[in-house]
Amino acid sequence: MDGIALEILWSNLIGAVSEQARALQRIAFSPVVREAGDLACALLDRDGRMIAQAVTGTPGHINTLAAAGAHFVETFPPDGLAEGDVLVTNDPWLSAGHFFDITVLTPVFRKGRVIAFFGSTIHHTDIGGYGVGAGARDVHEEGLWIPRAKLYEAGEPNPLLHDIVRHNVRTPDEVMGDLAAQVSSGRVGAERLGILCDRHGLDDIDTLADEIISRSERAARDSIRRLAAGTYRGESRFDIPGGAEIVLKCALTVDSQAGDILVDFAGSSGASPHGVNVVLNYTHAYSAFAIRSTLDPELPNNHGSLKPIRVTAPEGSIVNAKYPAPVAARHVVGMYVPMPILKALHAVAPDRVVAEGAGAVWTMQIQGKDGRGEPFTSAMFNYSGGMGARRAKPGLGATCYPTGVAAVPVEVLEAAMPIEFTRKELLDGSGGAGRAPGGDGQVIGFRMRTRDPWLLNAVPSRLDAPAEGLEGGGSGRPGRFLVNGEPSARANKMTMAAGDEVLLETPGGGGFGAAN
Amino acid sequence: MTGPDVQDPSPRYRVAVDIGGTFTDAVLRRGDGLVRSDKRLTTHGDLLEGFFAAVDGVLAKAGIAPADVDDTIVHATTIVTNAVVTRSGPPTALLVTEGFRDVLHIRDEHRYDMFDPQIEYADPLVPRARTFGISERVHADGNVDRPVEAAEVDILARQLNDANVESVAICLLNAYVNGTNERRLRDLLAERLPDLHVSLSSEVAPQIREYPRAATTVLNAYTQPIVAPYLERLSEVLAERGFSTAPLIMMSNGGVLGAATAGRFPVRMVESGPAAGALAASHLAERMGLDRMLSFDMGGTTAKACLIEERRPTVTGRFEVDRVYRFKAGSGFPILIPAIDMIEIGAGGGSIATVDNLGLLKVGPDSAGSEPGPACYARGGRAPTVTDADLVLGLLDAGHFLGGDMALDLRAAERAVDGLAERLGVARIEAARGVFRVVGESMAAAARAHATDRGLDYRGLPVLAFGGAGPAHACFVAELLDGDTVIYPPLASVLSAFGALITPLRYDLARGMAGPVDWDRAEAAMAAMEEEARAAMTAAGCPQDGMRFGHGADMRYAGQQNEVTVPFDGNPVAARDGAMLREAFETAYEAAYGLRLSDLAIEAVAWRVSAHGPGIAGETEPMTAAAPGGAKGKRPVHVRADGESVPVYDRAALSAGQALAGPAIIEERETTIFVMAGWRAEVRGDGCIVARREG
Repeated sequence: MDGIALEILWSNLIGAVSEQARALQRIAFSPVVREAGDLACALLDRDGRMIAQAVTGTPGHINTLAAAGAHFVETFPPDGLAEGDVLVTNDPWLSAGHFFDITVLTPVFRKGRVIAFFGSTIHHTDIGGYGVGAGARDVHEEGLWIPRAKLYEAGEPNPLLHDIVRHNVRTPDEVMGDLAAQVSSGRVGAERLGILCDRHGLDDIDTLADEIISRSERAARDSIRRLAAGTYRGESRFDIPGGAEIVLKCALTVDSQAGDILVDFAGSSGASPHGVNVVLNYTHAYSAFAIRSTLDPELPNNHGSLKPIRVTAPEGSIVNAKYPAPVAARHVVGMYVPMPILKALHAVAPDRVVAEGAGAVWTMQIQGKDGRGEPFTSAMFNYSGGMGARRAKPGLGATCYPTGVAAVPVEVLEAAMPIEFTRKELLDGSGGAGRAPGGDGQVIGFRMRTRDPWLLNAVPSRLDAPAEGLEGGGSGRPGRFLVNGEPSARANKMTMAAGDEVLLETPGGGGFGAAN
Repeated sequence: MTGPDVQDPSPRYRVAVDIGGTFTDAVLRRGDGLVRSDKRLTTHGDLLEGFFAAVDGVLAKAGIAPADVDDTIVHATTIVTNAVVTRSGPPTALLVTEGFRDVLHIRDEHRYDMFDPQIEYADPLVPRARTFGISERVHADGNVDRPVEAAEVDILARQLNDANVESVAICLLNAYVNGTNERRLRDLLAERLPDLHVSLSSEVAPQIREYPRAATTVLNAYTQPIVAPYLERLSEVLAERGFSTAPLIMMSNGGVLGAATAGRFPVRMVESGPAAGALAASHLAERMGLDRMLSFDMGGTTAKACLIEERRPTVTGRFEVDRVYRFKAGSGFPILIPAIDMIEIGAGGGSIATVDNLGLLKVGPDSAGSEPGPACYARGGRAPTVTDADLVLGLLDAGHFLGGDMALDLRAAERAVDGLAERLGVARIEAARGVFRVVGESMAAAARAHATDRGLDYRGLPVLAFGGAGPAHACFVAELLDGDTVIYPPLASVLSAFGALITPLRYDLARGMAGPVDWDRAEAAMAAMEEEARAAMTAAGCPQDGMRFGHGADMRYAGQQNEVTVPFDGNPVAARDGAMLREAFETAYEAAYGLRLSDLAIEAVAWRVSAHGPGIAGETEPMTAAAPGGAKGKRPVHVRADGESVPVYDRAALSAGQALAGPAIIEERETTIFVMAGWRAEVRGDGCIVARREG
C-alpha cells in the first residue's frame, strides 16, 4: 500500500473511532465522562492489538485499553464469538487499574468473521465499596469486581450480570445508562467500519492493521534511534494523603540499535497500605505516554508505536501492585509516573521535555443528604495544579500534564448537589520561577448547604514535596488542604460537620531555566 | 416585506451586502427577478467605503437611485470576527462573583490535545487586571443569597473609570437561572457611568457552565463599542444618501435583526457571512425540491460545510472562534449562541501537502494563505498546495485564473509537487492526484463525522458547491459521500450576499432552567421570550400577521450532562402535556443516539423560542446564454486516467437545457467546475448547473 492509499483508509479509521467517542461522550451520564472527558475509545484488530484511538481520553485509559485487548482475546478467541456479543471487565490487573473503570469491547463481524473490536473505557459514577479514595485496606473493600464476561450474548443482555451490577452500585441508573452508552457507541463504530469496508471492497482489515501498526512501530523506533544510546536516570518525590513520601526512581535505557526504550522502576517505593497502588498496566500506560508525547506527539498511538517501550518494576512495589493490594486511588501515584521519566529524558531531549508539574489531579467525592433529606453520592470531580514549564513556553496554570481531563464546571456541580463554591482562582506566584515559569496552582473553596454531617473522599497530593524545576528553574509551591483553616489531609474518608469549609490549594509547576 | 406567496404589482428592490475578509459583495434584486451583483475589495480602514462602493455599483448596473430601494437592505459582515482576531476592541472589563476572577484564564482545565505538551490557548479578551470580583451570590436554585450593594459599585465605578474601561461584561454565578443580581449591577453602574457599554450573561447567553457563558459575554462586550457605532453610522449614512429603508443585520443563526438590537448583541453576528451562504443553500434546496443537501464552500485556507435538513440549515448552540493553535478544536473561545451549524476544516486551495513520519500524505491544516500563496502564484511560496496540485492535474488553466487577470506559474507548481512526489516515491502526477484525493477524503470525513454527530445520514446527500476551490473538488467529495448530485449555483462568487438577500426574518431565544419540569415557570419563560422576539421582529419591520413562532427545549435524561435540542411540533408546555414532552425528547434522542432509556426521568435545562418572518417570493431571472455554446478548447486532465483529454467550456456561453457529458471543465471568472467522468451536467433555466452521476 502506498502512502496515499493508506492515508485515505487511515483517516477513515480515525473517523470511525472518533465518532464512537463523540457518541459516548454526549450520551454519558457520568459528569467525569461528559464534562471532564475521562474516557477512551479505540479500534483493535481481531488479535486485540490497538490500531487507532480517539483524540479524547486520558493516558491511563487509552493505553490500558490497548493492553486489555490481548487479555480479552485470550479468554474469548474471536472465532468463538457470536454476532451481538459484547465483552466487559473492570479487572484492575487486566485493564485500567481500579474497579471504577469499566472496559467494554464490541466485536465487529463481516461475513460471519470477527474483523475488529471497538473498545471503550470510562470512569463510572460508582462501583460500590469504598468510593474514590485511598482508604480501603484491600481491593475487595473497593467494590464490585467484574471478571472478563459477556455483557451481551448474541444481542441479548446478560440478565444475571446486569442484575449483579445494578445491585452492587449506589447509582444504578447512571451506571446502567453509561454501560448502555458504551454498548451503543461500540455499535456506532462498528457501523462506520462496515461502511468503510463496503466502500473499499475489503473483507477484513488485517492487511490495513498490519500496515498501520508496522509503520507506526518503525517510526517510533526511528525516533528513538535518533537519541544517544545509554542509561539515564530520573527520580521524583511526592507525598500522598496521609503524609507518606513516595519515591519513584527510573533507569531509562535507550537502545539505539533496536530502537527501543526500557524503563526500570527498581528502587522505587514499596507497596502502600492505602489504595494508591498502581498495577503494571497503568504504570506502563503513563510511562509510554511520557515518552511518546515527548518524542513524537503526532505519531498515532497504537500497538506499533507503544511496542518499543518496555516497562519493568519490582513485583509488589508501588508501581507493580500485587493482589490484593488496594488500588482505587491509583491515579494519585500513576500520574506522577511520567515525572522521573521526563527528568531522565532531559538528558537526551532537553528541548522537548516538560518540567515537573503538580502531578495528579486532586479528586473529590461527596456523600451526604440533600435538602429533602435524600441520600446522594456525587460523581468524582477533580482539580488540577500547575503544569511544569516547557523550555520555550511557561507551564499552563491549573492544567494537568500528564492527563488532560477537564474540571466539571462549578455551576454543573452546584446544580447536581447542595454544594456551594466560595472560590476558584489561580494562586499567583505558586508556579516555580524561571526563564519559563511553571504554571500556577489554584485555590478552590467549598462548603455543603446541608444540616447533616457529610462524607468527603479527598485525594490531594504534593502537600510537602514540591515540583522541581529544570535547568535552574525554581520549584513550584506545594499544595495545601485545609478544613476550617487547618491542614487536614488524610488517607481515609473524612466525616465532616454541616458548616465545615474546605479549601484546596493545588501545587504549582516547576520552572524551566534560571530566572534572570 | 413581501408576503410569502404574494407577487408585487410593481417591482420592488432589495439589496444585500456581505463584507468578508477580502471582498465586499453586493447583490440587488428587483421583485420581478432581475439580479445585479458587484464585488469590491474590503476596505479595512473604513468598512463603509467598500460597502457603498459595492452598493453604488449595483445601483448603477440596475440604473436606479437609492430612493428606489423600497424593500429591505440586508447586511452580513465579518466585523466581529475581525475585531476579535486582531484584538482591536477597546479596554473591556469582566465582573464576576467574588472569588472567581480567573474564569477566563482557568477555562475548563482541559488540555485539548493530550499528546502535545506544547499547546497554546487564545489570549483572553479581558486581562486579569481588568477582572473584578463582586460580593454577591445566587444559588443554583435561583435564590438570591446575597444582593449587590450600591456602596461596592461606587468603588467599582471609580476603578473602571480609572482604567478607561469602555465596556463591561457581567457574568455572575448561576445567573443562567436568575439574572436579578446582574441586572441590579448594570442599573447601579448605569447611574454612575452612563456611557458605559454593559453586556449581561443572563441576556447574552443564559445557559449553565460559567466558562463558556463568560467567554461569550466577554466577546459581546469587547466588540460592542466597535459594532454598535458602526451600525448606527451605517443607518445614518444610508439615510443621508437617500435610502428610505433601515438596514437589517444578518445573524449567525441565519436570522436578521434591526441595527439597534444587533448592536446590543454583536456576538450573534460572529458567523454572519457563512450563515448567509448556508441560507442561499437552503433557498436553492427549496427551489429544487430537495429536502437535504450539503453546502460545500471551499476557499483559500479552509473549507466550510453545512447540512441542510428539511430544507433548512441545521443550527447549533455552541461553536468556537479564534482557534490559535493549528486550527485545533479547544484552542479558541467557546461561544454559546444559536448559529448555523458549520464544520470548518483546514483544507482549502492554499493548504499545504506534506509527508508525515509514517510516510503518509497529509494535506493541511497549515496553509500558504494568499501571501505567499501557492507555489504557482510565484510570490515566494515553495510548498506544494492543493491549488498547485489542481494546476498540475490540468484542472486549472494557468492562463485563465481570475479570468486571466492573474497568470499562474505551472513550472513552479510542478517543482513543488515534485518535492512531494520524491518523498512519497511516486511520479509527479500520482502525487498531485494524491493531494486531490486526500483533500477530498478529509472533507468527506469531516462531513460524515458532522452528520453522525447529529444523528443524520450523510449518504446520498446532494452537494452544493461554491467558493473558489469548491466546484473543482465537489464531484469527488460527492462520490465519497455516496452522492449522485452536485449543484453549481449561479452567482457562486457572491453567494453569501445572495443568501442575505433572500433570507426571511428569524429571531432565536433560549432560557436556562435546571431541574425537573416546572410547567408554570416554563410557560412564563416561553411567554417572556415570545414577547421579546415579537418586539425585536416588529422593530425590524416584520408585519404582525406574518410572524410564526416555533418552540423547543434542550433536554436530557435526569443525571445526564449533555442535552439534545428538541424542536416541538406542538407546544407541550402550553398543553402541560408531560407525555407529549417525553415523546418529543425521546424521538430526538433516539434519532441522535439510537436508544431510549424509558425508565429514567427526563428534564429540560433550557427552553427555546424562535420567531420566523415571511420569506421572499418569485423567480430570479435566468443567467444563461441564448444559444448552446460549444467547447472553447480541450486540455489533458490527470484526475483519473493519465491525460484524458477534457473539453473546456465558458459558463457564460452555456444555454438553458444544454447538457454536457463528463469529463468536462466549465470555467468562470472566480472558479472552475470539474465534472468528472461518469457524471452528466445540465444547465437549468435559472442558471444552476446540475451534475448527476450516471448508471
